[in-house]
Amino acid sequence: MKRKWVIGALVALFALPMMAAAEDVTLELLIHQNQALVDYINAFNPKFEAKYPGIKVNTSVVKADELATSTQTRLTANDVDVIDMFGFAQGIQPYMKKADKPNWQSLIEAGLLLDLSGQSFLKYYDTPTIKDAGSFNGKVYEVNTGRYAFTGVFYNKDLFAKYKVKVPTTWKELVAACDTFKKAGIPAITCGGKDGWPILVAGYGILLSAYPDQAALVKGLWDGSIKWNDAKSLDMWQKMQVLARDLIEPGASGIGSDGAPGRFASGAAAMLAAGSWDASNIEAAKPNFKFGYFPMPGSDNAANNKFIAGKYDVGWVVNAKTEHKDAALKWLAFFSDPGNYQAYVTALGIIPTQPTAKLDTTIGKEIAPYLSTFRLGYELLWVAPKGAGQWAQPNAAFFKPYNQFDDAKKLADQAQADLAAGLKAVQ
Amino acid sequence: MRQGYLYRFGSRGSKFIPYLLLAPGLIFYLVFSLGPSVATAGYSFTDASGLVGSKANWIGLDNYKEFLFMGANVRDNLEITLRTLLFSVIVTVVQTAFGLLAALLLDMRLKLSNFFRTLFFLPVILGATIIGLMWTLFLYPLGGPAQQLLGLFGLRSEFLGGPPSTVFYWIIWIQIWANMGITMIIFLGGLQTVPNELREAARIDGANGWQVFRNVTFPLITPSFNTNVLLEIIGSLQAWQLFLVIKGPTNGLNVLGIWVYALAFGRQSNNPTQAAMRQGYGAAASMVLFVIVLIIGLTSQRLLARRERRILG
Repeated sequence: MKRKWVIGALVALFALPMMAAAEDVTLELLIHQNQALVDYINAFNPKFEAKYPGIKVNTSVVKADELATSTQTRLTANDVDVIDMFGFAQGIQPYMKKADKPNWQSLIEAGLLLDLSGQSFLKYYDTPTIKDAGSFNGKVYEVNTGRYAFTGVFYNKDLFAKYKVKVPTTWKELVAACDTFKKAGIPAITCGGKDGWPILVAGYGILLSAYPDQAALVKGLWDGSIKWNDAKSLDMWQKMQVLARDLIEPGASGIGSDGAPGRFASGAAAMLAAGSWDASNIEAAKPNFKFGYFPMPGSDNAANNKFIAGKYDVGWVVNAKTEHKDAALKWLAFFSDPGNYQAYVTALGIIPTQPTAKLDTTIGKEIAPYLSTFRLGYELLWVAPKGAGQWAQPNAAFFKPYNQFDDAKKLADQAQADLAAGLKAVQ
Repeated sequence: MRQGYLYRFGSRGSKFIPYLLLAPGLIFYLVFSLGPSVATAGYSFTDASGLVGSKANWIGLDNYKEFLFMGANVRDNLEITLRTLLFSVIVTVVQTAFGLLAALLLDMRLKLSNFFRTLFFLPVILGATIIGLMWTLFLYPLGGPAQQLLGLFGLRSEFLGGPPSTVFYWIIWIQIWANMGITMIIFLGGLQTVPNELREAARIDGANGWQVFRNVTFPLITPSFNTNVLLEIIGSLQAWQLFLVIKGPTNGLNVLGIWVYALAFGRQSNNPTQAAMRQGYGAAASMVLFVIVLIIGLTSQRLLARRERRILG
């Protein structure tokens, strides 16, 4: 009898923890640094864990420009289950000779992303999104959760009213508005210049005004019908120089992209050149702050400034080799549940990709007039020819004070020469 | 003859003991150092993306042709190489000079010598990330301490956010600041091997301080000098961490170390998109860097060894 008790106790001692271990799953989630996204996920995961008590979610956060590198290293180490990946972009077009395939395509072809085709939660999302931002060769690999606009400018409504400045619809009006604020001792436009890419993105609005059809621009650059130093492009470079040198506040190169929304919300600058993803961060920094968002008026013709471009942003992919496939799919299904998804859209201020969801927030109302003509931005379409030089891209941050150029014509010629070198090399 | 003090590993099983003792270090070296180096050389002839499970096709010298000769790469990569060499020369010269000066001052055993020795060495134990963060805060262009100092003279600067020609020299300074402690410690070790009697004899013969240093101390610390110069040349040619932490890949600022990283991980433009990762191509770039380091390192070593033989016999 005593022996049985001992055996029973030993079995309990060893078997129970093993059974518990078999049930407990830790789902590894990788996301990029967008404070609103981080806050939402941190609030969402406990709800998921409450619904599925055997599953814990561990979230890692990396800077946006390090997401691709982290994705690769963590997939290689096989220590991640669900990954936030920007919507599929930079696909190779037939006219792009000898171009390298984008990273997401390499991941799929290496068998690293799980085929999500047929999963029931896909029915909640609109078909064009599933097709354009997450499919390859007829199979679905990513659930894209929304779009952001990035060619607009946030503005402080109170400051605009106080100084009687109207929302600018042309380049001249924008420059005049900035002059008004600078004369009043208020920095005109702030920007998270420390990370480099926010200044690049700020210039994309000017690019969009010059070339509203971004896909045609990319094709034109490849076939030589558009040049970076032709008259229209030169005008674009000149405006980018003015933006970098005169309109963005001095010292913006020290402000991180995650600090810029707070600075803007504090009233330290009249405008913030940033993507609509920062709307939630502005609201979080100062809940009752009154702000608006207008397309960067890069042209003197207001008709060319009525567009907004952007990108498919947060999307979920699953590691094909995950040992927690069931838990990962449960997480995606719970996330995609229309009730949860609506909360997500509201929290992030993201343009929804589920037709039933509504972006009924400040930023939603601000960008609503432009959604019917919303288009993918240049950086989502452009693939540089191999051998193109380092200056062959439209980047306002190439100008002083952020880089070495102080002559728009010189940079335009350099950009075209660098592009032409690549085009010639791949012929 | 000191034969009596030697243990002979010749009998039976004991002759394998030296090999057994060497084995862990050797295996560690083969697996974590030589192995990856050889693999990198192999990768440089493929179109590998670096993804597990992706096919790596043999493409011969295509990566090298593209890196060295294709389109504008010739100009860009030459510019990056020259900048790397400039970085290396300035860092080596200034760091050696500062390290030697600090070691000489500390060797005088003045008051607070130990405090300053610790202070100068402190940055060495900080990681690149912490160093980058510290300097970023110090040089914050919107009212950071350095900006406030400039403000006293009615000046302002973008500091680390400014043109690459400015940022480059800031990174040189930070690299020197971060590593000078090691140079100083190696020189201090060398100075402590210089017999005091020689210096005293020189002084008795009428030599002034500079003459004692030039004709007695400096020649006798030649081994430390050579070690420092070689370490600094190799270290600065391979520098990339501070460039990454402080600025990331940036046109007009890149050196070969960070350029290899940027090419391999699709980070050429500092743009958070989905550019292709080309680890085969990055491996080819790193082989070019390796050859440059090898040529310069071996040449320097040879020249320094010759100088050492000439001075010390």
